[in-house]
Amino acid sequence: MTEITSEYSPEELMAVVISREVRDLETVGVGAASPIPAAGCILAEQFQAPRATLMILGSKEYYPFPAGSSELHFLAQRGELDLFFLSGIQMDRHGNINLHVLGDYNSPQMRLPGAYGSAMLYYMAHRVILFRTEHSRRTFVEKVDFVTAPGSTPESVYREGGPTKVITPKAVLSWDGEAGEWVLDSVHPGSTMEDVQANTGFTLRVSPRVQMTPPPTEQELSVLRTIVRPKLERIYPEFTRTKIRLDKK
Amino acid sequence: MVQAGSMGLPFIGVRGLLGSDLLRQRPDLKVEGNPFHPGEEVVIVPPIRPDVAVFHALQADRWGNAITAGLRDDLMMARAARRVVVTTEEITAQELTLQDAVNNTFLPAIHVDGVVHAHCGAHPCRCGPLYPADAVHIKEYLNAAKGEETFRAYLDKYVYSVSSQQEYLQKAGVAAFTCEGNRQ
Repeated sequence: MTEITSEYSPEELMAVVISREVRDLETVGVGAASPIPAAGCILAEQFQAPRATLMILGSKEYYPFPAGSSELHFLAQRGELDLFFLSGIQMDRHGNINLHVLGDYNSPQMRLPGAYGSAMLYYMAHRVILFRTEHSRRTFVEKVDFVTAPGSTPESVYREGGPTKVITPKAVLSWDGEAGEWVLDSVHPGSTMEDVQANTGFTLRVSPRVQMTPPPTEQELSVLRTIVRPKLERIYPEFTRTKIRLDKK
Repeated sequence: MVQAGSMGLPFIGVRGLLGSDLLRQRPDLKVEGNPFHPGEEVVIVPPIRPDVAVFHALQADRWGNAITAGLRDDLMMARAARRVVVTTEEITAQELTLQDAVNNTFLPAIHVDGVVHAHCGAHPCRCGPLYPADAVHIKEYLNAAKGEETFRAYLDKYVYSVSSQQEYLQKAGVAAFTCEGNRQ
């Protein structure tokens, strides 16, 4: 075991930053293999969003339907999903995400499991927040190797919403819909604008309102580690045990 | 696509996908004008009707009613498939009904063509509340799946040379009559 030197893990920081994005009364979906957004949404429920409807795949407590993931997909197709979270092995300057292959599609260096509805949800959720635990030049690229779902689409395509933010362990990027590209919005404690740019594979425009991300408060961390922890552990036991610390008090 | 198959439709419209590279790689996904909204493009996909679908159940009865763990979309897949086989941990003496499937999924006999008793039949995957996934065995499988020869050796060891479920479980190091010996 390495000695714990920081006050919170990168995953805890991301969960807190995500939690601040959830609004009260929203209908919020969390897909497969998304423990950080799940933690963020349950945390938001304890603070500003007590009446949000949370739908977390893999959860019994947070799944208000009598069947499987089709319920969440159909709800999104009806235009009733306010917020959803997606990730990808690559994300690019123009908001395109890749969940399919690295390299050429027909002889890939790596083949991934696939989109699992992402190529619909990215259009039909009113707001999509992208998350990625690795902020590096191989993750944030000029152009993705394969467009699983595009950041923007022409008028002839029905679209309820699309990308709004990217949350990483280093920063928050926000979507400029008119320019169709990402803008650096806030830099987390422990990182700098130079560090974020050096680890991003395209030139990042900087928002005139760029700020330091307010660090997680003691109250946010404490609620995350006490009230949220056991709820999250029922959905993501391994993640919770390794990434969410136990409250010292 | 499975949804269209389950409903017996000739095709179904799908939201999204336009602008994705998926359309380049999948000639079965077509782009058409929406006849009800001129000027809008939509993706049209064909139905999927699997020849066979297999489900592993917690319980099934001799008529083919079955209960699978958790709330799932099994019913959609069962409707879409031309033949449905259920493997089950237990065959119950009495007839199962929807009321027996609280917080689980009920597959009515009308969709089921055959039931096979297979204790620990989900191994090496988990089976709802009964037993967890066998991480050691899954790792062995993943390593074997990296090459043709190693995968053939895996199949020889665990599938072709085995004459019963019990023999498979013995070879895989799982206790024969319960799944309690399953490695976490």
